[in-house]
Amino acid sequence: METVINDYVSRELVQDRALLPLADDTSLLETGILDSLSLLRLVVFLEERFGIGVGDTDLLPDNFASVNAICAYVRAREPGRTGATHG
Amino acid sequence: MAYLLQHLLTEAAARRPQRPAVASGGSELSYHELDRLSTKVARALLRRGVAPGDRVAILATKSAASVTGLYGALKAGACYVPLDPKAPAERLGYVVRDSRAAVIIADQTTAAQAAVLADGVPGSLGVVVTNGTDVAAEPDEPLAEDRAIETDLAYILYTSGSTGAPKGVMISHRNSLTFVEWAAAAARLAEQDRVCSPAPLHFDLSVFDVFATCRTGACMVVLPDGAATFPVSIAQWLEKERISVWYSVPSVLTLLACYGSLQRFDLSRLRTVIFAGEVFPPKYLARLMDELPHPRYLNWYGPTETNVCTAFEVPADEADAGPAPIGKACANTEVFAVASDGSRVSKPGDEGELYVRGPSLMQGYWGQPAKTREVLVANPFQESRDELVYRTGDLVTLDPQGNYVYVGRRDSMVKIRGYRVELGEVETALYRHPAIKEAAVLPVSDELLGSRLRAVITAVKGEGEVGGGDLTRENVLDHCRQWLPSYMVPDVIDFREALPRTSTGKVDRAGLARE
Repeated sequence: METVINDYVSRELVQDRALLPLADDTSLLETGILDSLSLLRLVVFLEERFGIGVGDTDLLPDNFASVNAICAYVRAREPGRTGATHG
Repeated sequence: MAYLLQHLLTEAAARRPQRPAVASGGSELSYHELDRLSTKVARALLRRGVAPGDRVAILATKSAASVTGLYGALKAGACYVPLDPKAPAERLGYVVRDSRAAVIIADQTTAAQAAVLADGVPGSLGVVVTNGTDVAAEPDEPLAEDRAIETDLAYILYTSGSTGAPKGVMISHRNSLTFVEWAAAAARLAEQDRVCSPAPLHFDLSVFDVFATCRTGACMVVLPDGAATFPVSIAQWLEKERISVWYSVPSVLTLLACYGSLQRFDLSRLRTVIFAGEVFPPKYLARLMDELPHPRYLNWYGPTETNVCTAFEVPADEADAGPAPIGKACANTEVFAVASDGSRVSKPGDEGELYVRGPSLMQGYWGQPAKTREVLVANPFQESRDELVYRTGDLVTLDPQGNYVYVGRRDSMVKIRGYRVELGEVETALYRHPAIKEAAVLPVSDELLGSRLRAVITAVKGEGEVGGGDLTRENVLDHCRQWLPSYMVPDVIDFREALPRTSTGKVDRAGLARE
């Protein structure tokens, strides 16, 4: 999942190519990679790719601070995450 | 009375020296301090050799430091040219060379970037850092005299140009003050107001929070970069900063209405919400007014070339009755619409192009007299007069109350988050790619955000190592980001064998748009 999200952010959202390659713990906020528009595009991507619903109260810095933070958020929201069926 | 923008500051500083002028980054700068520090910046500019009428670029995000810098430039008799520090180096280089910027004003974070840019301008006098030691060392004395008159340029705002390069809209002190005086009254600004616009300095919405706020002696509050990303963070920040007047493009307000959890915050201080730059989708305006019923909602309209020229207050119960009208002309301004047969639009339902006349009109496009003559034209209904009127390119109609209602564009300009984008400028950037043979850029409507851009391109064939094979979406996006600011980079890239053509051989844009 880290690779998928990192690829998407690197390809679609990073405007300043000097920020690449992007580490999974790089702040997407301090680097200015995420703004209000790119955040929404990312949300649409996450919803489609991982089949999750992102609520408005989830649009918080903690959930989107880095690729790692996004992965943690998505894992917590993924359907069927109650059991140990996912790896 | 003020006849130069910087008079607004000296008057506010004399009237209420200790009132906060700019709140940014957790600290406040008083009117006295802003006046004093900006005079030091002016002295530093004069020491470098800045002469009246020179252009002084400002490379800094909106902050106490950059506002100090722009007042410093004005006090030195210069005209300021605000730059977007996030814009690609190619575009910034073009603007500083085109405007022949004498000095680039920077803050601590942009000083190195500014030095590189200044090196590319022949005859540049270098970089002045507003909060640097050079400025601090200047004598703390007011300047003896004004170095400008009201018809001199106050600033040049660069906006997208259809032929591929941005064009500089020249605004004089009088042009700007016409808007500023009207705006302060229309928004009913008062000294205790805390005014915020997230618009950066290179976007003309910022003229309101920088100058109308100062005109009133109120406090301009800068939204921190980090807070602007998350709608909930904006709402939280509005509560914390007790913002009373907000001015932005509709898309920011749409996000607030949909994702801001507005009910969770005490926004009772917010008494006026102003939007401009594009049409506010009625559904989201209604939702915002439903979530936050107490503020006044004002729809302002005006291209950069005219400042705001019409205004409409949205009645509480009519938000979802259709797109809010752009309204009626502002003070000291006349607007009229000319139908395709040359007659004046006078009845509801008739359509025509909106023209604007009055003292708020720009002086022209910097260094582009031919382009200027295309838009500043003789008044079609007052041919004996020598004054020029501005053709907006916007098509409008009238409603039964005599308000103008925006219908669409006469040409291929679109708005992306309130920013003007000439499709031709995006196409020109695409054509710089060695492997792109043809390109057509079209707007795609996006319910939440207004518009996005779609580029349809064909590749040069058989060019071997020059291009051909390596034309990928990623590669095209990378190329665009070298030349264009982020809002102009297409979202969707369609590769085609050939572009569809009309019977006359032109690219079939209508056909592409219907796909």
